[in-house]
Amino acid sequence: MPDKRTKALRKTILVSLLVCSLLFAKGQSTPTILDFKLDGTEKGQSLSTVFASIQKKTAARFYFLPEWIESISFQDSDEPNTLGDALDKLFTGTSLSFFTMYPNTLVIIKDPKQAFLRKNAIEAAHQQQKKIEPRLLGTATNPKKGKVIVSGRVMDLKTGKPLPRTNIQILDTQEGSTTDEIGQFTLSLDPGPHVLEFSFVNFEAKVLDLLAYADGEININMEESPILLDEIIVQDHSTQEIATSRIGQIKFTMKEIKRAPALLGEVDLVKQVQVLPGVTTVGEAATGFNVRGGSVDQNLILYDGMPVFNSSHVFGFFSAFNSEAIRDVSFYRGGIPAEYGGRASSVLDIKSKDGDYKKWNGNAGLGMITSNLMINGPIRKDKTALAASFRSTYSNWLVHSIRTDYADLSKSSVFFYDGTLKLTHLFNENTKLSITGYSSKDAFRLMGDSTYRWSNLQLSAKLDHQFSSKFSSELSAGTSSYGYRVENADPLTASELSYRITTSMVKANFHYQEENHKINFGWQFLFYQFNPGMLKPDSPESNAKSISLDKQYSIENAYYIADEWAISERLTLESGIRLPMFTSLGRASVNIYRPDTPIETGNVTDTIHIKPGRPIKTYYGVEPRLSFRWMASPSSSLKLGYNRMYQYLHLVTNTTAVTPVDIWQPSGYYFRPQRADQISLGYFKDFNEKKYGASAEVFYKAIHNVVDFKDGAQLILNRHLETDLLQGKGKAYGIETSLSKNSGRFTTMLNYTFSRAFRTIAGLTSAESVNRGQQYPASFDQPHIINISWKFNLTKRHFFTGNFTYHSGRPVTIPLSAFQLENTSVAYFSARNQYRIHDYHRLDLALVIEGNHKRKKWAEGTWVFSVYNVYARKNPYTVFFKSSGAGIPRPYQLSIVGTLFPSVSYNVKF
Amino acid sequence: MIPDSFLNVKIRWILIIIIATACVEPINFTLPPPQYQTIVEGMISDSPGPYTVKVSKALDLNTDSVYRPPVENARIKLYDDEGNVENFVEISPGVYKTSGAMRGRIAHSYHIRIETEDGKIFESEPDQVNPVGEISSIRYEFESRKKEEKYGDVQADVFNIYLDADAGAKEENYVRWRFTGTYKVVTNPELHEIFLQVSSYRDPLPCSGYIVTPALGGGKLEKVGECSCCTCWVNQYENLPQLSDVQLVSNNQFKNIKIGEVPITPATFYDKYVITVEQLSLTKKTFDFFKLIRAQKEEASSLFQPPSGEIIGNVHSVNSDAAVVGIFWAASMKSKQIAIPRSNIPYLLAPIYFVPDACTKFYSNATTVKPDGWD
Repeated sequence: MPDKRTKALRKTILVSLLVCSLLFAKGQSTPTILDFKLDGTEKGQSLSTVFASIQKKTAARFYFLPEWIESISFQDSDEPNTLGDALDKLFTGTSLSFFTMYPNTLVIIKDPKQAFLRKNAIEAAHQQQKKIEPRLLGTATNPKKGKVIVSGRVMDLKTGKPLPRTNIQILDTQEGSTTDEIGQFTLSLDPGPHVLEFSFVNFEAKVLDLLAYADGEININMEESPILLDEIIVQDHSTQEIATSRIGQIKFTMKEIKRAPALLGEVDLVKQVQVLPGVTTVGEAATGFNVRGGSVDQNLILYDGMPVFNSSHVFGFFSAFNSEAIRDVSFYRGGIPAEYGGRASSVLDIKSKDGDYKKWNGNAGLGMITSNLMINGPIRKDKTALAASFRSTYSNWLVHSIRTDYADLSKSSVFFYDGTLKLTHLFNENTKLSITGYSSKDAFRLMGDSTYRWSNLQLSAKLDHQFSSKFSSELSAGTSSYGYRVENADPLTASELSYRITTSMVKANFHYQEENHKINFGWQFLFYQFNPGMLKPDSPESNAKSISLDKQYSIENAYYIADEWAISERLTLESGIRLPMFTSLGRASVNIYRPDTPIETGNVTDTIHIKPGRPIKTYYGVEPRLSFRWMASPSSSLKLGYNRMYQYLHLVTNTTAVTPVDIWQPSGYYFRPQRADQISLGYFKDFNEKKYGASAEVFYKAIHNVVDFKDGAQLILNRHLETDLLQGKGKAYGIETSLSKNSGRFTTMLNYTFSRAFRTIAGLTSAESVNRGQQYPASFDQPHIINISWKFNLTKRHFFTGNFTYHSGRPVTIPLSAFQLENTSVAYFSARNQYRIHDYHRLDLALVIEGNHKRKKWAEGTWVFSVYNVYARKNPYTVFFKSSGAGIPRPYQLSIVGTLFPSVSYNVKF
Repeated sequence: MIPDSFLNVKIRWILIIIIATACVEPINFTLPPPQYQTIVEGMISDSPGPYTVKVSKALDLNTDSVYRPPVENARIKLYDDEGNVENFVEISPGVYKTSGAMRGRIAHSYHIRIETEDGKIFESEPDQVNPVGEISSIRYEFESRKKEEKYGDVQADVFNIYLDADAGAKEENYVRWRFTGTYKVVTNPELHEIFLQVSSYRDPLPCSGYIVTPALGGGKLEKVGECSCCTCWVNQYENLPQLSDVQLVSNNQFKNIKIGEVPITPATFYDKYVITVEQLSLTKKTFDFFKLIRAQKEEASSLFQPPSGEIIGNVHSVNSDAAVVGIFWAASMKSKQIAIPRSNIPYLLAPIYFVPDACTKFYSNATTVKPDGWD
């Protein structure tokens, strides 16, 4: 059928082009068919009928495709006139126009460009098996003059939840837009037919064959992709980045990475973040990640709105989030919205899945290390839904299997689990309540008598309410708690060291939309309670001392407002401001040190005792946020982002990688808040209808009051941390580039980043400075980073995926020489971070076999066979020192995964 | 769910193959030659001198010997804060001593100046002698312990040594405890043999006081004098400096501070084991120096090994940018001694090892000079 139509159309266009030249050669003086007088009898008749009757009366010829004009008819009110005037009137607002050839021939043409694009768009959608839905607004016979305003809302079909930032492409005009925070959109279109495509990560794209003749509202329900048909491993960042107004934002889903090769077959959210441009990590067993020269604690990780303080299992081998429970993840590394605050570098906003309101279904996965189960479904159909997921490990076998000369791991054990329970209730179509409970636990014993345990526990509730189509709110409240315990079982020193941080939060977030302004404002309040450390003996013969540090309390309060202003179709400016305030509260005993002397216990002159609940110190901040986008053309854009962020909690660590026994220290009398200012500029471009994408982004970041430790610092159970920690300046700069091929059997993404990160800590004395006050590279400074990932569709159900990672070796401090001092050998270490370990590179491959893609079946299974570190490179994770026979420390490198690592996992959906 | 045991069997053998190679291996960096660094170590106390300063060059990390390349023929002077000066005299290569004329006094500061043969001048920052409290008691406790060796577990029992002490008058006391153990050993140098071609021959060491007659004939041992290398007293030193921890002070008393371990072997308890503990006062600067050294030594055994820092002492280069690391510190000193008799070991200890060699040669840090008050 399309073929016939295409041919006819082609003919018309050829004819019209041929004829145009003739037309201009001729004078316009002779009367034509357009001057034919209408007598009034045509009223109420269709245009084709009228043409037929004219054709009978005169020698006139009319050329047109019947379907173009089938809906057009003469109105009763039309005054009798010439045919030309009547056609002018009738064709207004349509893509039709006309001209005459020879005096008595009338040719009706359709705007060829628009028609072509529309046809192609529909055809492409057909080919990609996208759902095409016809919609009609108004009637073709009575089109609105000027622009048609089409507005509406995009929602998740299953949960009824609005889908914010859904990409909207007007395929026939190549314009684009997105929905706002509450899933709403407004488009201004020429009257007539259009093809709109709605796409949202992890959801099936929806194509709308829209005939818009009048203003109207369309609500779109989108369905989560039931099968992974034409997905690519890495989200099509380039198109998304053009569409969203924010620089430095990436959105992705767990589904995309399930087919990527993973260590031990464990799909991992944080590992996926670690390969994004601008993100670095110190190694496989490293909790967290570093964003644009920021330390690990500068990332705000939110799980359904609540801050998470330890995002890992087993010292960073796995992240603490079960990928099955996650709906989507937004990662901001630049141009951070005003809604977020409290950390200096980035935001990782993780949203868990809602339950299915229609029917029960589930998902189970078997891996070599863990198994997971997720079930979800309605408690009351269309009203209340539950989603529950649980993951646990049986990894002891793995640890016992590892043989190294460094340590005997046979007495070690590893255990962890995490679970999420989410209940959602729809009071009505405008009000929804979600309650999320999340728990994760780890127990880890390595070699000796010490058992490390750490846990996250959180409970949060969120009420979404839509006051009107323009105004909506989200109210949330919750509490989260993170803590660890180290148990030492050696009877003589038996003890338990514990630490805990508890956060309570209330947040009110509002969205208001008026014409081309989208305003987001709100208030956030956090209350922190720290148990900074307690050591207690736990056997009668233990000679461990009982030590308990004073509890600490802090309040963080912030107001924010931001306006996303679409100045024109090409220009969007989002400006915002966040006003945080932070107070640390007593009870506390604060040492006062002699002025102009180092902060050392020897220089204490006085101690101030602050009563419970009284403020110790208050900090105020002003955080401007700015994000600017200019669409240079429909396929390219230029973006600029600036943000300032204050950080009031500092992770205190003196190890290379973050460990679970590190402590969070609030700003207070001595620790000033960290302040980061970042500016970034990016250019994004698509080629060949988004088949290829390219982007480049530069950034510069300056951080004040970064925290680093003194050499030989004692951090655990230290009552006066100010004597062992130092604050200074940090800076980072770099360029991040990416190239991608987004469609076809072979898809790929290539990122290259060049960036540097430095610290400068210059205190009063050499003991209060690092490297005598000279600038030194941060321990995660990795100048060159390359990440390549790809997917090749062997068949519709077989995929071959892979990724390659390279980064420069990270800086380390190493012994340069040794000397004898009082009968022992001592190593002389270099200044901090003056040497580098070898470069890191690794290739991983995976073969994915999916179950058949029939929709009607009880279950669907996916196998993933992967090989991690294919060419078995011994990538150094860290350098440590073992004493030689003479007691001289010699450097050794520890490779966490020193060999190739095959694995297999099976996931079943039912 | 696949049962654990299934996974265990199925996958473990694969893992054993792939993880057979250790993930830990030596790493090499391109380093500046160690000889460029000068190392200075010395102290003065309120105990009578002479005081020693050792000047040497740094060691290569790949060396297996702890021999200090000495810096000889340097001119070293000791200064106090009242203008008094005393010269150090080189008594052996790289080891310099005072005559004993000057003695450290509480509340006075001292520093040294070193001029090397090639004209480099190093100077230490003045360091003050702070008062120090008394050691009130030293205790020991037996602990049964096993050590894992390649051929299986072996007994490695120890006595843990604890100390109680007075922290002194000052609010903030930086204290170091220096632990020295001394034990007596005997060897049989007269039974020394040499191996020539196919068989061994008696070859008593000259210091044993024995000769063999006829020589090399496999003849009889004959005593011709006293043995001067059969009995030694061996010193054991702490392997990391023990420092006061402010958190462990209560009511100005240090309680139950573990300051060392005494390994129980047939040699260490051939006779008895004598422990000498010196309680030394430190200034903040020298405390920081020893703290860095202790941190480095302690961290070596930690799973989360924090990066060690550059060790910065109080000796600086005056007339060049020559690299120097060193400490010259001043302390007041109180010491206490206890002995652990062999009879306190709760079982019968094996006889001392048979060593057909000179005791000074076989045991490191051994001397044939009987310590004062040993008997």
